[in-house]
Amino acid sequence: MDTLLIAMFEILSFGAIVVLVVLGLGIIASMMGIFNFAQGEFVLLGAYVTYLMHSVGLPVPLGMLAAPVVVGALGFILEKLVVRRFYAAPIVAMLGTYALGLIIREAVRGLTGGLYLSVPEPISGSITIGSLHFAAWRGVIVIITLLVMAASHALLAYTSFGLRVRASLENPQLARASGISTGMIYSLTFAFGAALAGLAGALIVPVFSLFADLGIRFLIQGFVAVMVGGVGSFAGPVAGASVIGTFSAWLPWLMSPVIADVLVFVLAIIFIKFRPQGLISGRGVNR
Amino acid sequence: MSSTGTGIQPPPRVIQAARSPVMASAFAGRKKVLPIFELALLIAASIAPLVLRDYITVYATRVLILCLFALSFDLVWGYAGILSLGQSLFFGMAGYGVALLSRDFGLGSIFAVLPAGALIGFVAALLLAGFLLLGRHPSSVVFVSLGTMTGAYAADRLARGSHYLGGQNGIPSIQPMTIGSHELSEGPGFYYLVLAILVLIYLLSRFLLRSQFGLALAGLRENEQRIAFFGYKVQHLKAIIFAISGAIAGTSGSLYAFHEGFVWPNMLGVVMSTQVVLYVLFGGSGTLIGAVVGTAIVEGLSFWLSDNYRDIWPIILGVLLLLVILFRPLGLISLVLGERERVGRFGPSLKEKRNAAP
Repeated sequence: MDTLLIAMFEILSFGAIVVLVVLGLGIIASMMGIFNFAQGEFVLLGAYVTYLMHSVGLPVPLGMLAAPVVVGALGFILEKLVVRRFYAAPIVAMLGTYALGLIIREAVRGLTGGLYLSVPEPISGSITIGSLHFAAWRGVIVIITLLVMAASHALLAYTSFGLRVRASLENPQLARASGISTGMIYSLTFAFGAALAGLAGALIVPVFSLFADLGIRFLIQGFVAVMVGGVGSFAGPVAGASVIGTFSAWLPWLMSPVIADVLVFVLAIIFIKFRPQGLISGRGVNR
Repeated sequence: MSSTGTGIQPPPRVIQAARSPVMASAFAGRKKVLPIFELALLIAASIAPLVLRDYITVYATRVLILCLFALSFDLVWGYAGILSLGQSLFFGMAGYGVALLSRDFGLGSIFAVLPAGALIGFVAALLLAGFLLLGRHPSSVVFVSLGTMTGAYAADRLARGSHYLGGQNGIPSIQPMTIGSHELSEGPGFYYLVLAILVLIYLLSRFLLRSQFGLALAGLRENEQRIAFFGYKVQHLKAIIFAISGAIAGTSGSLYAFHEGFVWPNMLGVVMSTQVVLYVLFGGSGTLIGAVVGTAIVEGLSFWLSDNYRDIWPIILGVLLLLVILFRPLGLISLVLGERERVGRFGPSLKEKRNAAP
């Protein structure tokens, strides 16, 4: 019973991490129709900013607050300079963002000297319930993920900014005719997606430590999750991420980690083959 | 969505299969750059080992093998519009296959291992294509690229975890390849062998792409729906070219295994397959020569730069790639070749037609 609870907590917290990473990817893919191959590197950059703030002596939580701001700002600039040229050709966008990701990854590799660098958990220790111990920081990640998810949904579903984003998504011409600056909306949406990735990177760096290939680890997972969930809606990628996260954390308890890792992806690809629209085939943001 | 897009990747916009004789005569006087360019490259490649030092010849042999690999990616992406991000799967599987043949069965004869490598690549590509491309729902480009990438990732992971395949270290010290009783080791001999194979496969691909099959492929890349309405079995065409490209990648992988003398999991994984995407985009997809030029330039630059600027070389490569994608979506080859020649002609040449119809 105890092991089962511990396992369930592990699965929950890993699922939360995957959701957090995929959320930004899913928002960019669903709202803008772009598969951003640099998303993993935005996660990496968030982790790096946190490490940088920590290494100059500032408190870690401050670094975690700064990470989404810095990465979001960078996302905004990159969208203005590079990504906006790709909207007409989504396939080129994959290759272009891949090049961007390569630049960021190798820059970070140069800056870290190819080492594994650790960042301490801002809240260390464990929470004890009865005879069970849970890592406190992982609990915090679960709570923050839930908050971020709710806030993102609220932003897209209930604010006037969200209304503009959805309008630009559904009918760009009409949105422009109604006086919405779709170019600006795309920039802000991309920046928002990047900021979410930066936050994810900041939160997970104490768990995984910082290394240059941190982003790649999540990239394939993220794409598979978005496709399984279904592109086009807010709920789709979140659902996909929960499923993929759960399986990724659960299967290693049953079989060797290597087989489990591969099996998750293979099952996901088979699922997408027979249900290309994904788990949730709707479009837009449900209120 | 936004109208500011500039990049158009699967390149040519024009297909000029049936050109009217009037138009033809208007362009007949134009000089052709492509054959001259190809010939110049071939001559340069044939005399290279005579003037280069031995260690550079060894490096150049590796580059030629990678050119072959780049050709295989160019066939699927540049000509059929299939974004295969897992091309290394066939490259690496063939490499591992021939390494096992050599280790467990002592097979090293070129007449056994190269066909075996090509066959492994062909079968693996055919199976993957059967799953990813065929079926009731036509597959989206994103799905195919994700599926192939996952295939490469999975193979990489499995090879790393497998004791039989040597785990992280791969299979070291493969016996040299033999022709009859002659052992083929690194150096000019191996170089000329690879060059001959490259030229042969290049010419075969060229012939294939200039045939009616190539025309159907080009149409497929430009407008898949229209080709389907004409009655072509679009998915079958894609599967065929995918399997052919798998065979080429397999040939290249088995040559690579014997040339380097070892195989390791990176040959299978995402690193290698993104490398080949880089070569082809750089040189110019949709032209066979572009793939070769791109590989030669990227590998040449990295040979020269990685000594002096080891740390920033990958960053430079990324920046260059981004610049090429943004400002030269047709690749560096478009600096030399005009649009008309890049697209080329299909079917029998105009002269033959004129002779046939007096």
